[in-house]
Amino acid sequence: MNSLRQILFLFGKDLRIELRKKESLVSMAFFGALLLVILNIAAGVDNQVDADAGAGILWVAVIFSAVLGLGRVFAREKENGCVAALLLSPVAPGEIFIAKALVNFILMILAQLVLVPIFFVLFGSNFSGGPVALLPILLLVNLGFSTAGTLISAISAGTRRNEVLLPILLFPLLLPLTALAIKATAGALAARPLFELRDQIEPMIAFGLIFSAAGYLLFPFAIRED
Amino acid sequence: MPGLNRPALLPALAGLLIPLAIGMIFFYAPLERTMGIIQKIFYLHLSLAATAFLSFFVACISGIMYLLRRQRIWDARLAASIEIGVVLTTLVLISGSLWGRPIWNTWWTWDPRLTTSLILWFIFASCLILRSAVDEEGRRARFSAVMAIIGFVDVPIVFLSARLWRSIHPTVIRSEGIGLEPAMLVTLLISILAMLVFWAALFRLRCAQYHQENRLRDLQQQLQH
Repeated sequence: MNSLRQILFLFGKDLRIELRKKESLVSMAFFGALLLVILNIAAGVDNQVDADAGAGILWVAVIFSAVLGLGRVFAREKENGCVAALLLSPVAPGEIFIAKALVNFILMILAQLVLVPIFFVLFGSNFSGGPVALLPILLLVNLGFSTAGTLISAISAGTRRNEVLLPILLFPLLLPLTALAIKATAGALAARPLFELRDQIEPMIAFGLIFSAAGYLLFPFAIRED
Repeated sequence: MPGLNRPALLPALAGLLIPLAIGMIFFYAPLERTMGIIQKIFYLHLSLAATAFLSFFVACISGIMYLLRRQRIWDARLAASIEIGVVLTTLVLISGSLWGRPIWNTWWTWDPRLTTSLILWFIFASCLILRSAVDEEGRRARFSAVMAIIGFVDVPIVFLSARLWRSIHPTVIRSEGIGLEPAMLVTLLISILAMLVFWAALFRLRCAQYHQENRLRDLQQQLQH
């Protein structure tokens, strides 16, 4: 088998498990929706949330729900000793990384398909921009989150405090990406055209590429047992 | 590997240089015209920042060397430099805030350098938490090496992204030259030198402690078998 087929095989396997049990996806969407409702209540009865505050609210819900999914992908392998089996198989660690990052990427998109409409139902009346303008920003953040998240979740799965450690290690690394995404989202919600947001979009692309490369190179050290 | 029983040359040198630097800051360097006495924080602040950044650079290099060589000594260097770096960055943030309160009229602002320093602090403080959460030696070393490398890779991106906001942080050392009075420059250089020697002394001491700790653990294991 060539490496592309191996990656697609692993990716298909993980996605099939997820779609049959739906444990990550349901908890991600549910938790994110819960956060949006809490933040909507916190915004008060008159709900005067401008584009800047709205962008912050959306990203708090998205990244907190994403962490739930990122943590599960490796915890599941660790529970049944499947990591050893994966490493014994003729698949290179870098290919495992790509497959896992792809799964996380897809999970984040599926969760956002639920969360973004809920966000616009709860807060949408305050913004002139629509959900479609958010698409490139969401995809770029998902790229950074899924690559860095896959690397860090492999590390946190190997520790005693798995669930606590993942956000503690991941959020500082992704702080700049989140800050850029909030700024770009605020622009998109205020219906500014995409090319006006390139000051944020360009570093976000760089961020995604650098974390993909660093994750791919460092992943073997995070997962290999010696 | 340096032992603890070597003559303490670096600490002694640091013990001489730091009082000298502090003496020069208060009695030799002239008083800045607009900022007055508050400006004197700058000498300490910049030396702390330089050594803090050096710590994280050393941590990244040690991380790479550990992953390539798998030698304990690189893990000791990694751990020592992260610990020292977190302490120094904490002091940089505090001294910067103390200066910013009267000069900028705020304790904190989202300026590129401030943002970068704070994120560095978060990343490497999380490394310390990670180290405390893993018991097995080899795994702890591998994990912290990965975190130190990816944390350091993050720095240029943080700086790039933070540059999109306008900077109000003073730039003393520019490409056109150094905007400092000669007496101030000498004071600054002595302060940086003192802090570097102090850093090296701390670093060596901490590495030696890790070395002793590892030897003790080996001995314990040998006795159990």
